[in-house]
Amino acid sequence: MKVTIGIFGMTCMHCHKRVTDAISKVKGVKSVDVSLENKGATVDFDESVTNLNAIKKAVTDAGYDVGEKPILKPEPEAQHVASACPVVIKEDKEILEKPVAKHENSASTIITLKISGMTCAACAANIEKVTRKLKGVISSTVNVSVEQASITYEPSLVSQKDIEGAIKSIGYGIVKDKISFDIGGMTCAACAQNIEKVLKKIKGVESVAVNFSLAKAHVEYDSTLVSVADMISAIEGIGYTASGKVDKKESQDRERKAREDEIKKQRSNLIIAVVLGIPISLGDMANMFPNLLWFVPSFLANDRVLFVLTTIIMLFPGRQFFVGTYKGLKHGVTDMNLLIATGTGAAYVVSVAATFLDLGPGYMHTYYETAALLITFIVLGRYLEATTKGKTSEAIRKLIGLAAKTARIIVDGVEKDVPVEDVKVGDIVVMRPGEKLPVDGVVTEGMSAVDESMITGESIPVEKNPGDTVIGSTINKSGSFRFKATKVGSDTALAQIIELVENAQTSKAPIQKIADVVAGHFILAVHMIALLAFFFWFFIGFEAFGVAGSAAFAGVSPFLFSLLISITVLVISCPCAVGLATPAATMVGTGKGAENGILIKGGGPLEMAHKINTIVFDKTGTLTRGEPQLTDVISTASHTEEEVLRMASIAEKGSEHPLGEAIVRGATAHNINAPDADSFKAIAGQGVEAGFGDKRILLGTRKLMSDNGIDAIHLNASMEKMENEGKTAMLIGVDKEAIGIVAVADTLKEHSKEAVDRLYKMGIEVVMITGDNARTASAIAKQVGIDRVLAEVLPQDKANEIKKLQAEGKIVAMVGDGINDAPALTQSDVGIAMGAGTDVAMESAGIVLIKNDLLDVVASIRLSKLTMSKIKQNLFWAFGYNTIGIPLAAGILYPVYHTIIITPALAAAFMAMSSISVTTNSLLMKRSRIK
Amino acid sequence: MKDKTGKYSLIGSIISSLVVVGIFLGLSLFKNSGRAIPLYTNVDIMAGMLFVFILSIIVSASIWPGIVEKRLK
Repeated sequence: MKVTIGIFGMTCMHCHKRVTDAISKVKGVKSVDVSLENKGATVDFDESVTNLNAIKKAVTDAGYDVGEKPILKPEPEAQHVASACPVVIKEDKEILEKPVAKHENSASTIITLKISGMTCAACAANIEKVTRKLKGVISSTVNVSVEQASITYEPSLVSQKDIEGAIKSIGYGIVKDKISFDIGGMTCAACAQNIEKVLKKIKGVESVAVNFSLAKAHVEYDSTLVSVADMISAIEGIGYTASGKVDKKESQDRERKAREDEIKKQRSNLIIAVVLGIPISLGDMANMFPNLLWFVPSFLANDRVLFVLTTIIMLFPGRQFFVGTYKGLKHGVTDMNLLIATGTGAAYVVSVAATFLDLGPGYMHTYYETAALLITFIVLGRYLEATTKGKTSEAIRKLIGLAAKTARIIVDGVEKDVPVEDVKVGDIVVMRPGEKLPVDGVVTEGMSAVDESMITGESIPVEKNPGDTVIGSTINKSGSFRFKATKVGSDTALAQIIELVENAQTSKAPIQKIADVVAGHFILAVHMIALLAFFFWFFIGFEAFGVAGSAAFAGVSPFLFSLLISITVLVISCPCAVGLATPAATMVGTGKGAENGILIKGGGPLEMAHKINTIVFDKTGTLTRGEPQLTDVISTASHTEEEVLRMASIAEKGSEHPLGEAIVRGATAHNINAPDADSFKAIAGQGVEAGFGDKRILLGTRKLMSDNGIDAIHLNASMEKMENEGKTAMLIGVDKEAIGIVAVADTLKEHSKEAVDRLYKMGIEVVMITGDNARTASAIAKQVGIDRVLAEVLPQDKANEIKKLQAEGKIVAMVGDGINDAPALTQSDVGIAMGAGTDVAMESAGIVLIKNDLLDVVASIRLSKLTMSKIKQNLFWAFGYNTIGIPLAAGILYPVYHTIIITPALAAAFMAMSSISVTTNSLLMKRSRIK
Repeated sequence: MKDKTGKYSLIGSIISSLVVVGIFLGLSLFKNSGRAIPLYTNVDIMAGMLFVFILSIIVSASIWPGIVEKRLK
């Protein structure tokens, strides 16, 4: 019986194959003809063995819907036909038959997740299957057209995170509502912590990453539970300002202005503090060393004059610390301002009291210079920090600066200059030499060389001909051409890169968790240490170590001495250095990557890449070019190679087979312009037959020759040799004579061998994974120098192979470009996608290489190592500085030297320098070479 | 809930700070007792008590909200 059934949801050849396979597997089906165009399948089956329902079930089990008649109504056009289902889930009857929940008990929760990466009905089915498999999931419904999954689950058995993890594990993405806030008023890493804390407390906020250096907060949230206004008011509630990002350029301008204002403000503060701080120090010291400082005017040594000068410093440059402390305390949060305010405030109050009140013996000395110098050094630190902080985010600014402002498009047949924002998809853009391309597109007319170095890092201009893609923000060098805009606004490659780099710079490396925990409790711990130090020196140390009788502190009161120690502890402690150690290096590292065409999607991949000890390369399209090329032409003694190639080219000219196209391309490259054949016939599994004039040309296998009575035994040795090299060799017979062989093969990319060599030298094991047979795979592996080959691996098994390697205790990176690589990229510890690859692959990977160059794999590992070493150096210095500085400030060496090694002013200078040294150390990375 | 947390935290912070100040005062008086010339002047003790109170309230104000929140839950 022959029937035609309509099938919904097929969008690509992958779907076509899936449906064909599913129906063919039904026992009793004699033949099946699936038509993508008509959205249906004609099935011939034996009624005594099977029935229509069984066939329909096979189709629905494969993830498609069926109807009685073919559906002629066109389906919405798939965005990327090539990027079909990223993964095929093995059929699981139990799961499929698991009833979609009709009940919803009181404990269940329904979530709606936005899913990315779905292209057809099979994708939706895959997600449904994998989520239903989770214990606690009651029902799962995925709508491919609105790209949403509605899942009912029991929170006591499974969490939303588990569900999202399951979806991500099969290569799809979860789209969250995201917003970036520009934050004002942050002064140190503790402020960033405070904002994170307050936002995380809000229901509906999924994740928060506040970057102190960039003054930004990136928030992932559920818009059904929390609004942007709620988040802004929460941030403002603890004394900071926040504004949601509107436009990148505008935001950058605002940021630049804010940074300039901050630098200007701190510069003015610094000038006041220095101008007044010098006479205060001289005056105060003149009291102690009158002979040494004889030149200091006597009025400067007057306590009342010192009071006036110090009060000016406290009121102007010092006000920011007290205002900051007040704002923080009002909302129950503490930051670095509190440390400084406590230290300087105590020194100032004690000095004022000593100046105007008769406090008795031990209170003759004032500490105006301590308060003044403390503020001077801290303000110096803030000024330098404001100037260097901007440099860490230079990469983003550079990228944004690349965008063109105007475009010349054709409007009603006339060239017209318009703002780049007005360019729409489909517009024809006119380019002249030296101009910057405004948007992404495809060349329609003309040719030129385009400098793409700003995006790909490739210094040699790339030739562009009709049909080639062009990237916005690159520069047209030589010729004039026209192109059709395909991606505009936030869809352009540049906009995507900026977003990726921004997100990466905001995201946190796992190593930062230690720093965050420390920075989060730092201020509290420091105050406790200061309190304990005060108690110790007041009750024990002062008397035990004879402070009152020492030369340096003769006559000082126990309170003043203990206070001095306590202030020094407060001032020397620097949470900023700890807080800046990781983000500063991450920002410079990811920025440097972006400048070199390496996009690292956050701190996680950046940190993991330096740990990998095994790297798995997908063969086709990654190590090799991914399209066959003519490699060998062999002729018999009575014929020339040119003749052989010409005949092969004539035979294949009408062919659409990739091998045939490779032969024709190869012939053209050898300046052989073959005429069309008079007749052409493809012989399934054997080759082709063509008629040309009175000649009959056969091109194909040994069987094709023998079936046609052509003796090709004399070419057998050459055939075998080429086949052993992994090439596809084809015999050419003209009339009754075998005249030669042509061979085609997928060839290696330019830098594949060099990259593999370098990886081996770095001590990394290199593995090649491919679906090809072992012989072809080994031949390619031999050429590229890879020892370990995983051949004949089905696309869906690639992830399993990665799992097996991980089970061996290896930390695995996977390099791939195809849709079928997506699960393996996700499974690996670090997924590296080639830039010319599919969107799905790039979404699944942690690192994206814009240029299709394998040497960038090596560069990305080097970059990761470099960044991690900087992070470790920074953390070492930041922790080391505090670990050494705090005990010294607490007077640990006093019993040995009988003096305070670090004065409060010196402590302030050290504190200021610690965060500057961390930032500067990170900036030094810009000088390092990664290629 | 938020009001309660704030109120209890403030009370807790003040009480614990006063306890620390009390310890400071007690220790100071104890050290001074039995000496012909007291080690600490009144100014030392008063100023010390003030400084200790400030540091203690900063520390306890950071600790108490967490404790109160946990208890109220």
